[in-house]
Amino acid sequence: MNRRSFLSWGAVGVAALCSGVVVSLGAVLKFLTPTVFYEPPQAFKIGNPGDFPFGQPTFLVEEKIYVFRDRVKGFAVASAVCTHLGCTVAHFSSDDRFHCPCHGSVFGADGAVIHGPAPRALDWYEVTQTRDGQLRVDKDKIVPPTYRLMV
Amino acid sequence: MNIFQEIWKSIVRRDPLSTDKGKSELVFMNVWLHIHPAKVKKENMKFTHSFYLGFITFFLFIILVTTGIALMAYYRPYPPHAYQDMKDLQFVVFMGPFLRNMHRWAAHGMVICVFLHMCRVFYTGSYKKPRQFNWVIGVFLLLLTLGMSFTGYLMPWDQLAYWAITVGTNIGSYAPIVGGQLRELLLGGHTVGEAALLRFYVLHVALLPAVLILFTIVHFWRVRKDGGLSRPLWKLKKKTPPQLVTIGAPAEVAALQTVPASTTKTYGLMEVVTGKPIFETIAPEEADEEVFSYPYAFVREAVTLMATVTTIMTISLFFNAPLEELANPAKTPNPAKAPWYFLGLQELVSHSALLGGVVIPGLMVVALLLIPYIDRNPSRHLRDRKWALWIFTIFVVANLILIVIGTFFRGPGWALVPPWVHVTGGVE
Ligand code: HEM
Ligand code: FES
Repeated sequence: MNRRSFLSWGAVGVAALCSGVVVSLGAVLKFLTPTVFYEPPQAFKIGNPGDFPFGQPTFLVEEKIYVFRDRVKGFAVASAVCTHLGCTVAHFSSDDRFHCPCHGSVFGADGAVIHGPAPRALDWYEVTQTRDGQLRVDKDKIVPPTYRLMV
Repeated sequence: MNIFQEIWKSIVRRDPLSTDKGKSELVFMNVWLHIHPAKVKKENMKFTHSFYLGFITFFLFIILVTTGIALMAYYRPYPPHAYQDMKDLQFVVFMGPFLRNMHRWAAHGMVICVFLHMCRVFYTGSYKKPRQFNWVIGVFLLLLTLGMSFTGYLMPWDQLAYWAITVGTNIGSYAPIVGGQLRELLLGGHTVGEAALLRFYVLHVALLPAVLILFTIVHFWRVRKDGGLSRPLWKLKKKTPPQLVTIGAPAEVAALQTVPASTTKTYGLMEVVTGKPIFETIAPEEADEEVFSYPYAFVREAVTLMATVTTIMTISLFFNAPLEELANPAKTPNPAKAPWYFLGLQELVSHSALLGGVVIPGLMVVALLLIPYIDRNPSRHLRDRKWALWIFTIFVVANLILIVIGTFFRGPGWALVPPWVHVTGGVE
């Protein structure tokens, strides 16, 4: 083997080794990235319209949403997850605002940030009525705070 | 020779400890002790030089490993069970509370001591040549210690744990580009749930301790190879060049040879055993300042170990590790606070998540890592290091102030509430 072919085979070898390492690292990352989530679905039914009172919003614990029902305007669903670092906000009837206990963000009745470190407004989710008459919320569909469902 | 003597001789092959040869053989014929030199400089063992903080940190880690393994006998890392098992440990398992307390208080202690150790190393200028890289390894040890604490924090699966981890991992998701994926990788999902608890458990009991041990080995090895601890500041003044001194008789084979004097070599007694001529390269006035590691250094280390264990045990007798109610994803406690050593971070985050949660801590870590390479001033004398001392002191004090504010001055809704004002619950 002459010097030239030694060097070129060497280069091929080093390249193969490097790509092997890169591929393996990629495989490790992919292995660690979950492919199945045993998490609640993003779209779900929350019950019949009649289950929800007028006025005060209903807080759904598992889904972390507030369901608003207004005699005139209809249904709207707000996320209860603070946009800052994910704590659950509480809706205070006294000032009709959402308060986050973690770092003090305050959101107005429409979800807009009034105070604190939250970078953006609370999300509002699409709510529709299925054929069996139940309400269905889809967390993948973000809607403007003016969105309402009349039933 | 009777059988017992024979067995003893097969285990302990060194000369009796009454001889100098036995004292040095004890050190380098023993795999655990040979990280020490056979002889150490007397003044390097002075308490006021190192405060033994590195040792204390290490001993706290040993306590954490032993009590942690004990706790593993009862702990199952699945959401409903994890909390139950904590309750069992707290109320029914024999010595359960004591072991849990020891584990918890040693963890807090380790965070405190690793930080103080870093301060000691900084103020004595011990990160300077040739120890620059050992400082870098030290910074990784600091980060690993914080990582161990953070992952351990989730284990009880109570309200405190759940929300501290929710907030903590959300901080990570503000990192540009990789943030979201990083969080998903860490949590094994999108929220803190079963998958997250399992992954944190794996990190806490397997991956992070393994890496921490590897780094610690390198850390210790380098302390040894850098010639032991740096000299105490009060010993810096006079600098005598090392001289060649013969302190032993040559064996019959070789004529007296001379070897070049080394400025860093602190060992030389190896030759006693190999039978070669003994040449020690030490400055004459240092000769009487060196003592055998056995018993001088070992006794001090053993006392430090016992003091550390006793302190943690005493604290664990009187103070219980907190355990709040079962984690409830729907109800964020008000105020929700991270563990105290992250409250400075939380305080920053309450002003801006990106700046306070990612940019500033990131810059702090980079700055810490680069200290030995930025500070090129070779002098270790305090009077020559005004700038360095000021900057580092401001860094330390700023961190402490943020932690104190986060701990004592933040009430419901993260509002500024002085500790002497009593608030009951939020505004409802
Ligand atoms: C798990 C954490 C750590 C352990 C167990 C540890 C342990 C030790 C021990 C036993 C020593 C020798 C004696 C002493 O100072 O007590 C030492 C020295 C040293 N440590 Fe650490 N350490 C840790 C973290 C750190 C950190 C965070 C830094 C700095 C960022 C650091 C930098 C150094 C340096 C530069 C020395 C040499 C000091 C000198 O020569 O005077 N270590 N460490
Ligand atoms: S998580 Fe709501 S203010 Fe920080």
